[in-house]
Amino acid sequence: MNTHSILLSRRAFLRGTGLALALPWFESYAAAGSGAEESPKRFVSIYHPDGVGLPLKSDPAWQDWSWFPRGGEKDFQLTKVLDVLEPLRSEITIYSGLSHPAARQVHGHSNADQYLTGAPIGGEGPYQNSISLDQVYAEHAGDFTRHSSLVMSTNGGVGGPRGAQTQSFNREGRPIPAMNKPKEIFDMLFVTSGKDAAAKLARSKSALDLLIDNTRSLGRQLSTRDQETLKQYLDAVRDTELKLAKAQKWIESPIPEVDTRNLHLDAEPKEARLYFQTMYELIYLAFLSDSTRVATFQLGRENGEGPHDLLSLAVGLHGAHGLTHEVKKPDGWKNLGTYNRYQAEEFGRFVQRLKETPEPTGQGNMLDNTLAMHGSASSSFHLSRNYPIISAGGKNLGFKNGRYLKFGKGNEDNQAGAGIDTDAGWTAKVEVEELPLSKLFVTILQRLGVETDSFGGQSGTLSRV
Amino acid sequence: MNQKPPMKTFSITILLVFGIAGLVSAADGQDAPLTLKTAKERGRARSRFLKEPSLDMKPADGLPTANVDDFRTSVAPVLFKSCLACHGPEKSEGRLRIDQLTPDLLTGTDVERWREVYNVISNSVMPPEDAPDYALADADRGKIADWLSGELTKASLIRRESKVHSSFRRLTKYEYNYALQDLLGLPYALANPLPPETASEDGFKNSSELLQMSAMQFETYREMGLKALKRATVIGERPQAVTYVISMQEEMNKTMSGKDAKLFEKSEDNDRKHRNQPHLFNRETGTRVQFANGKSTPQPEAVFGQTPAVSPVVLVLPQSKELKLDLDRFLPDEGIMRVRIRAGRSTMNPDEYASLRLRFSAHTSNNANFSQVVSERDIPVTESGDNPQFIHFDIPLSDIQRNPFRKLATTFPRRDEFLHIQNVSNTRGKGERLNVLIDHIEISAPFYEQWPPKTHTDIFIPSDNKGDQEVYGREVLNRFLRRVWRRPVTAQEVDLFMALFLKYRPGFSTFEETMLEVLATSLATPEFLYLTQRVESEETNSPGNISELELASRLSFFLWSSIPDDELLALAEHGKLREPEVLTGQVKRMLKDPRSRRFSQNFVEQWLGLDRLNSVTHVTDSSLKDAMHEEPIAFFEEVLRQNHSIMDFIHSDYALVNERLAAHYGIPGVFGPHFRKVDITSETNRGGLLTGAAILAMNSDGKDSHPLKRGVWMLKRILDDPPPPPPPNVPEVDLTNPEILKMTLKERIADHRNKSACLSCHSRIDPWGIAFENYDAIGVYRTLIKDKPVDATSELFNRQTLSGMDGLKKYLLTDRQDQFARAMVHKLTAYALGRPISFGDRADIDSLTAQLRQRDDRLGDLIELMIRSRLFNSK
Repeated sequence: MNTHSILLSRRAFLRGTGLALALPWFESYAAAGSGAEESPKRFVSIYHPDGVGLPLKSDPAWQDWSWFPRGGEKDFQLTKVLDVLEPLRSEITIYSGLSHPAARQVHGHSNADQYLTGAPIGGEGPYQNSISLDQVYAEHAGDFTRHSSLVMSTNGGVGGPRGAQTQSFNREGRPIPAMNKPKEIFDMLFVTSGKDAAAKLARSKSALDLLIDNTRSLGRQLSTRDQETLKQYLDAVRDTELKLAKAQKWIESPIPEVDTRNLHLDAEPKEARLYFQTMYELIYLAFLSDSTRVATFQLGRENGEGPHDLLSLAVGLHGAHGLTHEVKKPDGWKNLGTYNRYQAEEFGRFVQRLKETPEPTGQGNMLDNTLAMHGSASSSFHLSRNYPIISAGGKNLGFKNGRYLKFGKGNEDNQAGAGIDTDAGWTAKVEVEELPLSKLFVTILQRLGVETDSFGGQSGTLSRV
Repeated sequence: MNQKPPMKTFSITILLVFGIAGLVSAADGQDAPLTLKTAKERGRARSRFLKEPSLDMKPADGLPTANVDDFRTSVAPVLFKSCLACHGPEKSEGRLRIDQLTPDLLTGTDVERWREVYNVISNSVMPPEDAPDYALADADRGKIADWLSGELTKASLIRRESKVHSSFRRLTKYEYNYALQDLLGLPYALANPLPPETASEDGFKNSSELLQMSAMQFETYREMGLKALKRATVIGERPQAVTYVISMQEEMNKTMSGKDAKLFEKSEDNDRKHRNQPHLFNRETGTRVQFANGKSTPQPEAVFGQTPAVSPVVLVLPQSKELKLDLDRFLPDEGIMRVRIRAGRSTMNPDEYASLRLRFSAHTSNNANFSQVVSERDIPVTESGDNPQFIHFDIPLSDIQRNPFRKLATTFPRRDEFLHIQNVSNTRGKGERLNVLIDHIEISAPFYEQWPPKTHTDIFIPSDNKGDQEVYGREVLNRFLRRVWRRPVTAQEVDLFMALFLKYRPGFSTFEETMLEVLATSLATPEFLYLTQRVESEETNSPGNISELELASRLSFFLWSSIPDDELLALAEHGKLREPEVLTGQVKRMLKDPRSRRFSQNFVEQWLGLDRLNSVTHVTDSSLKDAMHEEPIAFFEEVLRQNHSIMDFIHSDYALVNERLAAHYGIPGVFGPHFRKVDITSETNRGGLLTGAAILAMNSDGKDSHPLKRGVWMLKRILDDPPPPPPPNVPEVDLTNPEILKMTLKERIADHRNKSACLSCHSRIDPWGIAFENYDAIGVYRTLIKDKPVDATSELFNRQTLSGMDGLKKYLLTDRQDQFARAMVHKLTAYALGRPISFGDRADIDSLTAQLRQRDDRLGDLIELMIRSRLFNSK
């Protein structure tokens, strides 16, 4: 890539080491005392719209192109859709029977918005979302890193209500704009100087000084008991001071230098393979340099259009969204399965890369400290149930992989809603029992170290995970 | 208390002991049936507070001492005779050993236990009804109660010194929002990013102990402050507004010249069908053409605020129909969008109303759509179509959901934004239908009444010193800080902020931008975020009192949920606020001010726990739900404004309803969305707060009434006698047991209650709730449940029979007036002080209750008594 020859030459000394961190930065990180001895816990969620192929058993395509595995928890067999993950079998878990209860009868086109939030966004009228899983964790872990989270999607921005182009929503339920241009993401992570941030920081510090003075002088005029109450305010100011001190450290410490060999920063969605790989590589580098511990990446948008529909060009197919509508045409299931297979392949490549990289702290490999999720908010055509979800890694967080975990009742063979290509599917009554996906989210949050027992209005964890 | 099932028969002895002279209940079957009115009179005559006006005790000469002698000589013998068998060495029911409580309440540690004893003795809950051997004679009961009451009051006075709760507290989320609104003159929600508050045990969100502060929250305050300041001020030249003008005459011309014009045929049938669709109508020629979707683009030459001659061509909007206007993608990101509509009514029947509502929507791609009501309230159309009126809405564009794709260079996803103008009305099928007629619409954004806006010049005040940044900066700061801190500021304090200004100045291009950063810092100071009470005070003769400035804030946060205004501040600054006539005048003024609505709303919502209505899913009609929520607030406002008795909350012969709620209650002849007082009869089965649909619906389980929830609610909210939380090992009701499934709800409850683990609590709770059984899950009155007559008769722990809602009200009015009055004072005091009421406040609460009772229980008087009370004026 010609565009970053300067960058490349600056870090030429790192060539061939395969190690992407520049030492000076690492030292200053350790000096900040923010838990450098402990391995960072990371979370990444990949979302793919449109769901997966779910033919009926009676359909000849069922044998090869049904997304869900066959068999039991340990002895499951992958179909052609997921066989690319076979080498990583011991590193992954596949789930069935999970969905967000509030959305089970909402059109699949509207549902990317609530995949990580579980909010009852409905299908029309007023729209209100809530905080997403990644942002709950970012609130917890965001202080340790330069960026609290990395939010990406192929289509970029926030999209529209019920047509999200981001997976991340803040505590008020407002969408966080996703970045979709590799070059901009790279610059944000590894180039930007932070001059504005420094000026803002300086202002905040002066304001805090004034507030502390002001609080002290008020405190002197209060009763002992009220001073205790005011102390809470002062503690809040002090906590903010500490945060600023950390932010200051980030501004002063040099930007991490990374190995850019696998990056194609000009890649666009029409060069789907390059684009996918570059986006994944950016997440990988952001994690490796501990620039952030939280990332989301949405592959396209529900209902297709724009960059989304170019993505299936990676496997020589046109119109990614259309693939879900054309399953009954010749090779329909195969085409959709092939595209899903490709998505799994790229996810697998990313997982493999994390696995091959030793954790910079020396504790296992990066995958062991990362929970990587891959999924969609619909299974069959427009059907917002039985989300197809894969998770990988997280061994050090307590995840036991190499399993196919079926939850719920009455749909053990994943045939509910299978084979449909009309709206009769998503509007139909919910006949089988599924468990709230939020229970898995609570499990994930707890293992990431967030003290909570509920998410999105659902409490409790998921057993067996 | 005992393991036996409740007795089923009524014995003469019980009547003699518990039907204390004068006590009448519906079930007694005595003489003429008791009306609610006489119940109220009798209950009042029995008030302890009215008999003992000396309750207003003050420590006069030295500290009071414990009266242990009387206990030994006259109280202990009767107390032990009746209680020791169950609460003594042999058995200690409820872990209470009456013989081990120290009779010195002033220095002893058993005050709380004694208070329980006092409660059960004075409410005739103990000794239990089915233990006639231990029954207490009236005189003995009185002896114990009198002694305890006196000792408890003294103990309360003593403990006041060691009172643990303070009114020093952070503002709640809603108070912070109002404070910012009033400070900056911005009528928008500004505090959304703050986390919600937790309610205290009393239900109050402004309780000092629970108002925490965290680093995250602290940062949010600074950000919100700066954002709000930026909204209130402007920089640079007046921005060019985009203006749309839609004239129905022109729309008619356009539509008629189009190929697809759908003219209405003259044939009757077709006509009627079409007339219920939005259409354009030429009132002179009679031509009608279908029209529901308009499209408009801004006209650069358009002038906003025109008053053209009334056009014969109007848009006819039938009931609930709307005009959908495609505004393309030209609306600015920020600022106010003013929508100005000239509208009139097609008919003038006074029982019918019509109003306009605005929605905003976009449909960006298949299934990716939204549509939201953006007008804060519906605005009524009151004039006739011949003499139409201008109606305007102001919509803050940065606060509403916008189409995120509006700036896209490509045309997909779709970029347009739509404004919907809807006719919300109550018109009915008969006769000529009431439609809204619109002939002219203007839309402009950003809209400013004046330039620079008043919100700007209130901060950046006009001054001759504008040329000198240091002098002018001090002027701006002086004025702003005074309002932020609710007190005069010193030159040194201003200096601190000026120093910050000078430090910031090089980083910004203008004086104003720099100053906003400095002002935002002041909005994060503790004196803005907290209600303070300084130790030193100008009133040296009464060191426990808060200062006048602090009183001004306490008053304004009590009655306005916000900062004091200039008038209040000025009076306090000049030391005039405590002058009796001044204070009375100010309270009157404050209650007249529209801001006092916040008091009614916040107090009632928290007192009654109306938040629970939000999570009710079985009321699906949102206009009904809104009306349910509004009713108790409107009722409270009526009682307050008319200075009625608080006993009206138990029962009233009037109701506060709007059309939707009146229909729900079966009250005829109420039209329109506004709440008004209507007289009701006993057949209406309403009156007071207990039968409000909100209370009944939120204390239901989604399918049916829930007597337990209703009972707990009643005890907690109305009688201030919260039952203990359920024990950890509650056995589940086995719904798979066919025997249980066969039972009616009341039988099921009785079955559950008869389990020994549940008995003691449930027998205190359930009977209250069963009395509500004539009201279903959405609060509709019923006489049948599944074809069986409703059984709403229950028996209280003290053997008192409650015969349905009427019986419950009669019992409360006859027997529990004092308790309710005291509960009301307790709740209102907790809210007014923003802190929990502790044992140490007992004497003050009693004294306030006595004064309230002497003033015929009038709510308006209570507010004034409260504000003059020692509690309200002390730290």
